[in-house]
Amino acid sequence: MIDLLKRLGLNTYNVDKKSHIEVNTDICLTCKDKPCIVSCPAGTYEADKDGRIIVHYERCLECGGALVICPYHAIKFHFPENGVSYRYG
Amino acid sequence: MSYDADLIIVGGGLSGLSAGITAVKEGLNVILLERGDYSGAKNVSGGRMYVHALRKLIPDIENAPLELPISKESFEVHCNNRKLYFSFEEKSDNSYSILRSKFDRWLAQQAENLGLIISYSTLVTNAYREENGIVLDTNRGSLKAPLVIDASGVTSVVFRFLGLRNFSPKKWMLGVKEIIKSKENEEGEAKTVIGAVKGVKGGGFVYTNKDTLSVGMAVIFDSLPKSEVPAKDLVEVFREREGIEGEVLEYSAHAIPYYGYDNLPPIYDKNVIAVGDSAGFLINDGFTIRGMDLAIGSGMIAGISAKRIIESKNYENTEIYYTLLKESFVLKHLQLALNRFKLIEEDRTLSIYPEVICEVLSSMFTVSEERKYLIDEALSRLKEKGISLGQLLIDLWRGVK
Ligand SMILES: Cc1cc2nc3c(=O)[nH]c(=O)nc-3n(C[C@H](O)[C@H](O)[C@H](O)COP(=O)(O)OP(=O)(O)OC[C@H]3O[C@@H](n4cnc5c(N)ncnc54)[C@H](O)[C@@H]3O)c2cc1C
Ligand code: SF4
Repeated sequence: MIDLLKRLGLNTYNVDKKSHIEVNTDICLTCKDKPCIVSCPAGTYEADKDGRIIVHYERCLECGGALVICPYHAIKFHFPENGVSYRYG
Repeated sequence: MSYDADLIIVGGGLSGLSAGITAVKEGLNVILLERGDYSGAKNVSGGRMYVHALRKLIPDIENAPLELPISKESFEVHCNNRKLYFSFEEKSDNSYSILRSKFDRWLAQQAENLGLIISYSTLVTNAYREENGIVLDTNRGSLKAPLVIDASGVTSVVFRFLGLRNFSPKKWMLGVKEIIKSKENEEGEAKTVIGAVKGVKGGGFVYTNKDTLSVGMAVIFDSLPKSEVPAKDLVEVFREREGIEGEVLEYSAHAIPYYGYDNLPPIYDKNVIAVGDSAGFLINDGFTIRGMDLAIGSGMIAGISAKRIIESKNYENTEIYYTLLKESFVLKHLQLALNRFKLIEEDRTLSIYPEVICEVLSSMFTVSEERKYLIDEALSRLKEKGISLGQLLIDLWRGVK
């Protein structure tokens, strides 16, 4: 298992964590195959035991991937507070 | 309407800085906005730059923080437990390995020395048209200009806010990369690896730098939900399969545009021009990913076009940029690469052909009582996979054309 956060601590993106992502909770339908979870290179999305998606904003590398991978365009770049928060499906 | 500058450039990567340097040399009053604390803070590339365009932008590149000239090309194809490997060596200063956090910072310094005003930690949060110009909202307030160059990379913020972009996972790749500490390297090597991680559509790369290695993968987004490895573990799995050990100094990821010449998004509109990744200028021919020289080239052309557009005072007519692009290497090379670009999109190129090659070679190197002929062996394997000789010949022709 990779120690992702430790690795992220070493990466160049750490210099600035001002811009991040926003999830539109009205649109997210928590798809079965969860493209956001498997396609994010930073482990920003996780599902909790009820299938709700947890967003770890502080992990996001701003690669832009979530802009294309969510079939419902529920994910946008925005500027929330850092830290973990929920979105509901 | 009063303007804050003749020209505002959004994004301080290679394309934005090249546009800025050229526009300042042309005597324009330019502001460049970059969200990172410095140029290069947020830029990712595998790390091999073809320097022909850079030499035109900055004639003296002796002092540029280039890593090593690439003098060895290797190609590796994996299929099940087999591996095909070939390499080619040639002393050349045509391309260098580079690290963007160092390189972009250096280029920004050159730009500032020439008088370009760069506003760092400035994030563009919206863009809209007002009278005869564009307003950009940022975390530090709003700015207005008659002409804006969108150099914000693959997410093309200005074009996106103006409603000129539709993104699709088929048109983007994900690039993941690690920088690994290594011994001092004397020679620059560029290695392309196909098939190391099953289920993903894409390939891996390894570049040698002075005392590090750049190791990563570029994968079509659309194939990730079907991959056996989640994106966050891709580069680690790839590195382990390549047998590369060493301390991970940096991990990064970035989307890569994957449009192709015949599918380019809008690259100019009233009062706006897109350059580099923001315009979708990327060549992927299966051997190399080339975006950096196209970013520098298109940036320079945008800088020259900006001067002409501003002089004409007809800010809505930005077509001159497209006219100049068509005459340049940027669009010509993109067009030339179209066949190979399309070829690697086909499933057979990255999965069936490598498998057939490995199977044929394996049977040639296996000695048994039965005598085997290379051509017969190859044709029967292709037939098993449903590929005709005609198809193979067409693909070969498309590949070398
Ligand atoms: C893993 C990987 C491997 C690659 N390998 C190679 C290679 O070996 N060779 C090669 O030639 N190319 C390679 N490429 C492609 C190459 O990196 C890109 O084509 C090139 O970086 C494009 O430059 P750019 O200036 O257009 O965009 P970028 O370098 O992405 O620069 C965009 C800039 O805009 C800024 N920005 C973005 N949004 C905003 C905003 N809202 N407000 C303010 N600023 C903003 C960013 O911070 C950034 O500095 C690779 C790419 C990846 C991801
Ligand atoms: S932008 Fe990239 S790193 Fe950030 S959440 Fe989306 S996929 Fe993950």
